Amino acid sequence: MFEAFLFFAPASLIILGALIVIFAKNPVHNAMGLVMTLVSLAIIYITLNATFVAMVQMLVYAGAVMTLFLFVIMMIGVDKKEQTTDSIKGQTFLVSGVFLILISLLVYVAVSSDFKWDLWFPPVEYDVEGTPQLIAGTLFTAWIFPFEIISILLIVATAAAIALAYDTKKRNSNA
Amino acid sequence: MWLEVSLEFIFLLSIFLPFLTAIFLFLNKKLFNELMTNFFTLNAALLSFAIAAYSFVALALNKFNGVNIELFQWISNPDISIGFTLDGLSGIMLILVTGLSFVIQLFSTSYMEKDENYSNYFIYFNFFVFSMLLLVMSSNFLVMFFGWELVGLSSYLLISFWSKKPAAAKAGNKAFVINRVGDFGFLIGLMIILDNFNTFDFYTILNNTNEVSENTITLISLFLLLGAFGKSAQFPLFSWLPDAMEGPTPASALIHAATMVTAGVFMLVRISPLLQHSNLASLLITVFGLITALLAAFSAINQYDIKKVLAYSTISQLGFMFIAIGAGAYVAAIFHLVTHAFFKALLFLGAGAVIHSMHHEQDIRKMGGLRKQMPITASMMGVGTLAISGIPPLAGFWSKDEILASVFANGGIYYIFWALTLGAAFLTAFYMGRHWLLIFEKDNGFEHSDINEAPKAMTRPLLLLGIFSIFIGFINTPFFHGLEKVLHVNLEYVEVTHLPEGITLIVLAVLSIGAGFTGLIIAFLFFGIELHKRIDLQKFKLEYPIKLIKDLSFNVLYLNKFGNLFFVSGMKNLTRKVAVVVDGILIDGSVNFVSTAFNTTSKITSTTQTGMVRNYVVYFGLFLLLLIVLFIATPMLQS
Amino acid sequence: MTRRKEIAMLEVTTDWYLSLAAILFTIGFLGMMIRKNALIMFMCIELMLNAVNLTFISASKHFGQIEGQVFVFFVLVVAAAEVVVGLAIIVSIFRKQSSASVDVLNVARG
Repeated sequence: MFEAFLFFAPASLIILGALIVIFAKNPVHNAMGLVMTLVSLAIIYITLNATFVAMVQMLVYAGAVMTLFLFVIMMIGVDKKEQTTDSIKGQTFLVSGVFLILISLLVYVAVSSDFKWDLWFPPVEYDVEGTPQLIAGTLFTAWIFPFEIISILLIVATAAAIALAYDTKKRNSNA
Repeated sequence: MWLEVSLEFIFLLSIFLPFLTAIFLFLNKKLFNELMTNFFTLNAALLSFAIAAYSFVALALNKFNGVNIELFQWISNPDISIGFTLDGLSGIMLILVTGLSFVIQLFSTSYMEKDENYSNYFIYFNFFVFSMLLLVMSSNFLVMFFGWELVGLSSYLLISFWSKKPAAAKAGNKAFVINRVGDFGFLIGLMIILDNFNTFDFYTILNNTNEVSENTITLISLFLLLGAFGKSAQFPLFSWLPDAMEGPTPASALIHAATMVTAGVFMLVRISPLLQHSNLASLLITVFGLITALLAAFSAINQYDIKKVLAYSTISQLGFMFIAIGAGAYVAAIFHLVTHAFFKALLFLGAGAVIHSMHHEQDIRKMGGLRKQMPITASMMGVGTLAISGIPPLAGFWSKDEILASVFANGGIYYIFWALTLGAAFLTAFYMGRHWLLIFEKDNGFEHSDINEAPKAMTRPLLLLGIFSIFIGFINTPFFHGLEKVLHVNLEYVEVTHLPEGITLIVLAVLSIGAGFTGLIIAFLFFGIELHKRIDLQKFKLEYPIKLIKDLSFNVLYLNKFGNLFFVSGMKNLTRKVAVVVDGILIDGSVNFVSTAFNTTSKITSTTQTGMVRNYVVYFGLFLLLLIVLFIATPMLQS
Repeated sequence: MTRRKEIAMLEVTTDWYLSLAAILFTIGFLGMMIRKNALIMFMCIELMLNAVNLTFISASKHFGQIEGQVFVFFVLVVAAAEVVVGLAIIVSIFRKQSSASVDVLNVARG
């Protein structure tokens, strides 16, 4: 019972946060909704035995990335009104289609598994602790080459961000 | 040990010496005057000939057992290597080519005097000699093919040597293009050989002819035959040789009389073990040789260009050699090749001397009575004429008689061939007699008091060749089979047609001498004492037939015009149509269609690129839906 | 057993996690479509990426393999890089036309 609570409470918070993200008018509220979603996700990760990933999720996403978002929101202002009324071609169809599929999928899973939710993935007992030791052991042996590539990607992204955000015009006029 | 090896290698020097000379002269083109060029090219040719003679003597001491030298192996499987061989057959050709090359170069130094491209001539000449030696000394088909193509190239260069004359440039092109037809056949023959024997080596192939079916051998022989026809100017592919006379006369003497045109004969003798397995090929060789011999001899009787008569005569004599090969008389073919090389070179050089003295006038109607002005040339040309007509004991008699006797010895349908060959021999004597009489004897009413005998550099080669033309026939008489011994290794597995014995041989010899004499006498009657003017021809109603014969002969039975109409104009029209239909509509159309198709489709698809990020999100969503549907549908369809 | 009891004894299986990930992804996608603010759209992308992370981790649990969690790291790094570059782009666009709406940006139309 406690296990179920540990799932359903964060899950509802996740969905709530996500809805805030897409429906709130104030960008700061959007960001706060996102933080809620991410933190709740970290809790879910812990229930899934992925403790290290949960920690990183808290630090990188809820910490660094969200700070960046808030920083940019503050920079470009929050008082800009945004019109959401006009729709584009096919949007209504898509929205309804996505909803329809999502709901029918959930109903199908629930009904055909007799409300046990084990239609495709019946419960199994594996005990994998996502400890830093285990993750590092895999990451730095079998996946060392993608890891190095991803580090190059990060450096390139950093350089690109600097190049993009650096205001050459203003800088030159000041100097 | 080292000495033995170097002795084997020494004949390679005679092959590559002309090549080195050509390069050397090319590099020093600006530096050397005519005298220097003469010095180097003549000494190199003489050295080359000396080495050739030395190698030949060494070969003779070795009882004519061949020496093979493989320079290096190019590909191990199939076995393709670069190698040379010195055996009886190639030894004869080696000596012939280097010897004639020296004599003719000696003549050329005087003939080409003060030409603006003097050194170029000798570069081409040496290059030709190298290619020819490559051809004859090769130990496999590949090297032979290299030589085969290179002689075509150097022949092209020498034919159109005076390229400022449009006719010369055109003649070079014609020779090259027609030879290409033959080379095409030769190349296909080589491919079939490689496919069946897995090697190009002559000895390996010729010793294993039994392993391949007769049909394949016939196919190979026919394709190689096409090559031989092209190079040796045989019936369908002969018209380039008369045009090739635009080149310098000494070059004609070497290339288009003595050596290059005999490459086809040489090649066929080389592959004689193949040929004897194919009756069809042998028959075809005889028939085409016969057609060529008769046609060319007929065409020669009413030509007025001093060199064209000799050109048609060459074609006709080559026809004789082909007849000999077809009749299985390979020794006779090579024998005739050798004798013909000497007396035809003599005739060409004599013609060159006449042309030189006549200030490049080549029409024999404007000559006549030159005997008094040019006694040495006249007598040497006379020797050549008698030799080619088959008057004993000159060279031509022995070889031609051997061919005729061999053809007769085959029996059956070959009796008819023999009679026709005899007719060609008669025609030969006739046109050669006419040729000599028109140049040196008959008075055509032109003043020739300013004509002098050719310089000594020209008459000396003539005398040398004249002596050879008289005596070279004794190397292979019915009493002394010298050449047969030389070639015994090459013809080890070949059934050579043997001459008839005793009285038959004598009768045949008398008949062939008779044909020669009759031809000369009739020529003398017509052109010497002009019989037709003394008696009334009206009585015999012969005017029209004679006119017809003259017309047909001069125009070579209109074969050239037919060929021109059929191949050249026909091809032109065809290619024009092809250009319009295939190129204009098909290819241009398809290319244009592709470009317009791309243009249209890109215009259509570019409308979807609105630049609105949210539109792209919509596309993303659509394809996401499609993906989900696929994921759900696939297991359902499978179950 | 009655149905009520079954629900009370409910075990949280992998299907639950996957359903949650599907819902999260769908919400993120809907946000991409209905919002015009580039900043919010980026947040929606983050939502979708997190949905994918959730599937990775639940699969890692389900199959007992650590690779799923390793992949989450890669996704994390790519997301971080994307946010950095994307926000830089938004800032430079905002400097030009003082608006973060993506509908104005149609210079790349075909």
